[in-house]
Amino acid sequence: MTHFALTIIGRDRSGIVSQVTEILYQLGCNIADSSCSILGGQFAMILLISNPAIKEKSDFGDAFTPLEESGLSVFVRTLKPGGETRSQLEGDICLISVYGADKPGIVYQVAKELGDRKVNITDLNTKLIGSETRPVYVMMLEAVLPPEMSEDDLKTIMDRLKGEMQVDISVRSITPVEL
Amino acid sequence: MAVKEILQYPDQLLKTVCAPIEKLDAETDAQLQDLIDTMVASGHSVGVAAPQIGVPRRAVVVDVSKSKLGRDNNHGLLVMVNPEILEKEGEETMREGCMSVPDYTGNVTRAESILVQFLDRDGSDRVIRANGFEAVAIQHELDHLDGLLFLDRVSNLKTDVYRRKK
Repeated sequence: MTHFALTIIGRDRSGIVSQVTEILYQLGCNIADSSCSILGGQFAMILLISNPAIKEKSDFGDAFTPLEESGLSVFVRTLKPGGETRSQLEGDICLISVYGADKPGIVYQVAKELGDRKVNITDLNTKLIGSETRPVYVMMLEAVLPPEMSEDDLKTIMDRLKGEMQVDISVRSITPVEL
Repeated sequence: MAVKEILQYPDQLLKTVCAPIEKLDAETDAQLQDLIDTMVASGHSVGVAAPQIGVPRRAVVVDVSKSKLGRDNNHGLLVMVNPEILEKEGEETMREGCMSVPDYTGNVTRAESILVQFLDRDGSDRVIRANGFEAVAIQHELDHLDGLLFLDRVSNLKTDVYRRKK
């Protein structure tokens, strides 16, 4: 069955979720996986959907037009077979929190250190807090380490970056416990 | 004396409030052994509650001594009949997984230290203080006796979909 990634974003108001899911329900679509959140004044939805009768994007026809008409932006991406399943990630999972006086490049420099070492970022949130005169940037990210890398290795890397960037960085393991 | 199959949600037995055990008879003792056998056979498990093997009675087994997180602070193999938590202290958040809810994990905040009373396998009354991972494991298993899954306690769904590490 072909899966599609549906992303929707628009000015936040009540009723967006019900408007979107009513259309999906009436189309007979399954929502396999989804994440929706508010960013500033915008509400953003990301959903993986499927329907045995829908093989390609054009089969949706003008089903999402009412959403566009109500001010939401809609984008549909057709997934390649298997694109709906997560690959098995074997390494430790760490939560990295980074915060400090706001300055350009915080996200990039941390992400580059991780990307260069094949650390896989699986979740990332940032927020600007503090006062207008003293803005503070906060970033929380979750990452899966490559099998050969330990939590301590990552701590060493992040400690060096902390000195270079003059921000605070902490790393802790959040690998699930089996009960 | 057998390894039992672990029930998986939506089996409604997992949502049942279990009955206290009145008598430690031969049948009960056999069920306790099944719990131990099932826990050991599952290899990666640090605890099993009776309802997970289809027995709606108040008994759990916990043993964190073989796990990395629990090996330095534990009471070894605990067989707990009619367990009750008397005191809770502190807070600790761990990302939990459960054999009855496969391929799903969630962040759960529980007490960091607990005082728990129970009957052991011989029927003696015991009170122990458990800390850290052992305390978390006991609280997780005791929840099963009240028909609660960790899904009832997850604080945030957002990032909670990793496969558990085997």
